Amino acid sequence: MTTFTFATAQYDSGDWDSAPLVPPNIIDTIARYTEIEVTPTGAIVPLASPDLLRYPLVYLTGHLPVRFSDAERRQLREYLDRGGMLFVDDHNHDVDGVFHRTATEEITRTIAEPKLLPNNHSLYSAFFKFPDGPPTTSHELNGWGDNLVHKNLFAVMREGRISVLYSSKDYSSEWGYHPDTKRFQSVDNTKFAVNIVVYALTA
Amino acid sequence: MSAIDRIAATRRTLGAAVVARAILWASAAAAAALAAVGTIDWLVGAPRALRALVLPVAISLAIGAAAYALWRGRRVRSLPAVALWLEERVPELRYALVTALDAPSVSPALERNIAAIQWPPVIRRALGNALLPPLIVLVAAAALLFALPAGVRARISEPRAGDALLRAPIAPAAMRNRLSPLTGEVLPPSYTGEQHIIIEEPSSIEALTGGHIIVRGQGSSSGITASLANAPVAPASLRDSADQWRLDIVVPAKPAALELHDRSYARTVIIAPHADSLPVVSLTAPTRDTVVRTPKGNLALSATATDDYGLDAGWFEYIVSSGEGENFTFKSGVVHRTDAGNARTTKLAGSLNLDSLQLKPGDLVHVRAVARDRNNVTGPGIGVSETRTLRIPRASEYDSLAIEGAPPPDVDSSQLSQRMLIILAEKLQARRSKLPRAQVLTESRAIGSDQARLRQQVGEIVFARLGKEQGTEDAGSDNAPAKMTPDQLLAAANAATQASAGATDFEGDETPVVAVNRPLLEAYNAMWDASRALEMGEPGTALPPMRLALAAIQRARNAERLYLRGKAPVVIVDINKVRLAGKRDDASSSARLPRAALDSSSERRAQRFDEAMNLLATNPSAAIDSLLALRVDALESAPTLAGALAPAIDALRAGHDATSALVRARRIAAGVTLERVDSQWGGAW
Repeated sequence: MTTFTFATAQYDSGDWDSAPLVPPNIIDTIARYTEIEVTPTGAIVPLASPDLLRYPLVYLTGHLPVRFSDAERRQLREYLDRGGMLFVDDHNHDVDGVFHRTATEEITRTIAEPKLLPNNHSLYSAFFKFPDGPPTTSHELNGWGDNLVHKNLFAVMREGRISVLYSSKDYSSEWGYHPDTKRFQSVDNTKFAVNIVVYALTA
Repeated sequence: MSAIDRIAATRRTLGAAVVARAILWASAAAAAALAAVGTIDWLVGAPRALRALVLPVAISLAIGAAAYALWRGRRVRSLPAVALWLEERVPELRYALVTALDAPSVSPALERNIAAIQWPPVIRRALGNALLPPLIVLVAAAALLFALPAGVRARISEPRAGDALLRAPIAPAAMRNRLSPLTGEVLPPSYTGEQHIIIEEPSSIEALTGGHIIVRGQGSSSGITASLANAPVAPASLRDSADQWRLDIVVPAKPAALELHDRSYARTVIIAPHADSLPVVSLTAPTRDTVVRTPKGNLALSATATDDYGLDAGWFEYIVSSGEGENFTFKSGVVHRTDAGNARTTKLAGSLNLDSLQLKPGDLVHVRAVARDRNNVTGPGIGVSETRTLRIPRASEYDSLAIEGAPPPDVDSSQLSQRMLIILAEKLQARRSKLPRAQVLTESRAIGSDQARLRQQVGEIVFARLGKEQGTEDAGSDNAPAKMTPDQLLAAANAATQASAGATDFEGDETPVVAVNRPLLEAYNAMWDASRALEMGEPGTALPPMRLALAAIQRARNAERLYLRGKAPVVIVDINKVRLAGKRDDASSSARLPRAALDSSSERRAQRFDEAMNLLATNPSAAIDSLLALRVDALESAPTLAGALAPAIDALRAGHDATSALVRARRIAAGVTLERVDSQWGGAW
C-alpha cells in the first residue's frame, strides 16, 4: 500500500491557497485517528498537471471566482474519469457568493451538476458516524456568509461513488488552524475529514 | 399518278416504317431492361447501386437499338433503292420501275404497264414483318413490368435510400423476419437546419444527441420488442405505418445498443451519438492579465466565437471582487449582448467603463466573453473564453506587486545580454589556440568590460530594491562597500525588509525580499568572478561563473513572476507523535476495503474482443453482437477502436472476409498504435 498524500489543487484563477493550514490539520487528524500511512506534509498540485493522477483525493477551495482553463478542465475530467475524488469547499460559505456560483458552474461544465447528497450516505459512516449528515461549522452559526446552516453537502456521483464532493459549509475556515491547537479543544471538529479521506481511499 | 410519284409515295411509307420500327425497338429494349432488373429485384433483391444504373442503361440501350434500326433502314432515302426493293418483291414489274427512273421521258406504254400493277399488299406485309417483333417485345416487357409489385417499380424508377422496405416480401408472413430489411432514418434537431438521412441495413447509426431516429421494417409491429441501453423501449414508440412498422427513439447522450427482437429473430443496432459542441470563445482583448493603477476610462473588449451549428448570442461578463482575507464582496454584470443571428462565427466587441465600476485599490476585475448556441434540445450550449483579471493595486503594493502578464521585468534585458556575453566568450575560447596572446587579451578584456557594465546594471536593480539610491555600488564608503559579499547583501536585504514592513513571522524562513533577490545577488557575485577572469584574458575560466550568473538571472525572473500572494507557512506534522492519539470511540465499525486498482481498460477491451473471436466459429451472430456491444463501450472511451470495429462488423455481417479488419481492431484493442486515425471528434492521436 502506498502512502497517502493530501493534495491541494492549484488553479489559475482565484485564490487556491486561501486555506494553507487545512492540509496539515487534516494530515494530523488522519494520523491521530487512523493507521493510514500519510505523508507529514501536503502536496500542491496544479489542476492542469498530469501529476493530479497521483492523488486519490484532491482538495480545492477559495474565495474568488473559479474559472478553469481548458487544460485544467481537461485534466480534471480525466482525473475524475479515472476514479479520483475532488473535494471542493466554498471558503465564503455563501451560496450566493461568487465562488459557489462559479465553482458549481465549472464543475457542471467539467463533469456534471452537483446534486444534494442524502444525509444517510455511506460517507457519513465511513469512519466516524455522523447520523445527522455533515457536521455544522461555527461559521454557519455565527451569522457569516449567507447566514444559513446547510443541511446537506452536494455531490456528483459516478457509478455509485462520489466523484466530486461539494461543500458550502466552509470547512476551510473551520479547519484552518495549526494542528497543535487541537490540544486546547474539547471536541475535535476535523473528524469529518477522516470520513472524507477514508471514503476516497476505500470501496 | 406517274410511276416516279408512286415510287416516292412508297419511299415515304417505308421511311415512316423505318422510324416507327426504330422507336419500337428502342422502347422494347428499355422496357426489357427495366423488366429484367425488376424481376431480379423482386426475386432476389437488387442492390441500390445496380438499380441506380438501370435507367441510364435502359436509355442507352434504347438509343443503341434506335440507331441500329435507323442504320439498317438507311437505304430508304434513295428512290432507286426503293425501286429495286419493289422490283425484288413484285417480279411482274420486270424492271419497269428502274427503267422509268433511268429515263425521265418514259413511254406512255410503260407507264400504263406500271399503273396496272398494284404493290400496296407487298408494302403492308413488309410493314407487318418490320413492326410486329419489336411490338411484341415491347408489349411483353411492359406487361411484365406492370405485373411486378408497385414497390419494385418505384425501386427501379427512382432508387433512393430506404426503399429496401418497398420490396414486397416473397416469404409468407409467418416465416418472415421483420427485422430485415431494416432502415434507420436520422432526423437532426430542427435548429441545426440539417437534412434527414436514411441508412439501409444499419449496424450503427450516428446522430446528434437530442435528435430522433426512426427505425422501420416490413410488416406489423405486433410482437416486436425493443430495448435501448438494456431498458425496454416504451410500446407507444413502436407503431404501424401502412404495411410497415416503425420505432421512434430519441438519440441518447451516450452510446447505446438498440436491441430488436421478433420471435426468434434478433438484431442489434448501435446508436452512436455525438454532442453539439459548445461554442468556442476566444477573448482577444484584453490580451493578458494586467495591473491597472488608475481605473479610469473604458477597457476595450473583443472576442471571437464559433460554433458547429450556429450561434444565438454573445456577451461579456465581468465580476468585481473587493476585499481581502475573509471579507469579500462581489458585483457582476453583463455588457454588450450581441445577437449572433445563427452565424457560425461572430465577433464580439465592446468596452467596459471602469469609472462606472467604482473600483477601489485592491479590487479585482474578472472579464470573460460568453457565447450561446441555438441548441434548444439539449442546450443551450454556452461557451466561455479564458478569464482575464485586472488588478487595482493598493498603494503599498506598488513596489512589490508582480503579476503574470505584467511588462517584462528589468532583468530580462540582463538575461539577454548575459547570454550574448557567454556566446562571445565561447567563441573566443574556441579560437583561442589560433590567436596570438595579445589579441586574446584584447578581446577578452572587451567582453570583460561588457560583463562589468552588466554587473553594474544588476547591482543597481538589487540596490534599488533594498531601498538605496541607484549607483550605490560605486558610491564609495559612505553608502556601501564597492563589493559586498552575498551574505552581507542578504543581511542588508533583510534589514531593508524589516525596516519597511516591520516584523514578519516566516517561521524561520527567509523573507520574500531575500527570496526574490538572492538569485540576483548570486548573479552579481558570479559576474564579479567572470569579470576578473576576462580581465586576465582567460575566457575559459570566465565561462562557468558566467553561466552561473545566467542561471541565477533566470531563477530571479521566475521568482518574480510566481510570487503573487506571499508564501504559505509550511507545517510538518509529526506523524509518529500524533499517531492514534485521538479517541476513536465513535468510529464506525463498518467494513470498508481498500479500493482495487483500476483494471487496465485496454486489457479488458482486448479480453472482450478475444471472447467474441472465440464465439465466431460456433455462433457468428453472437460474436457480431459481442463486437457490437464492445463497440458501444468503445465509442466513448476508445473511439479509435470503435472506428476499427465498424468495418470488421460490417464485413462479418455481409459474410465477407473480415480478417484484416479484425486483426487491425485486435491490435488497437490491445493498445498498439498502428497509424494516425482521425475521428469525427476531431481527435488525432
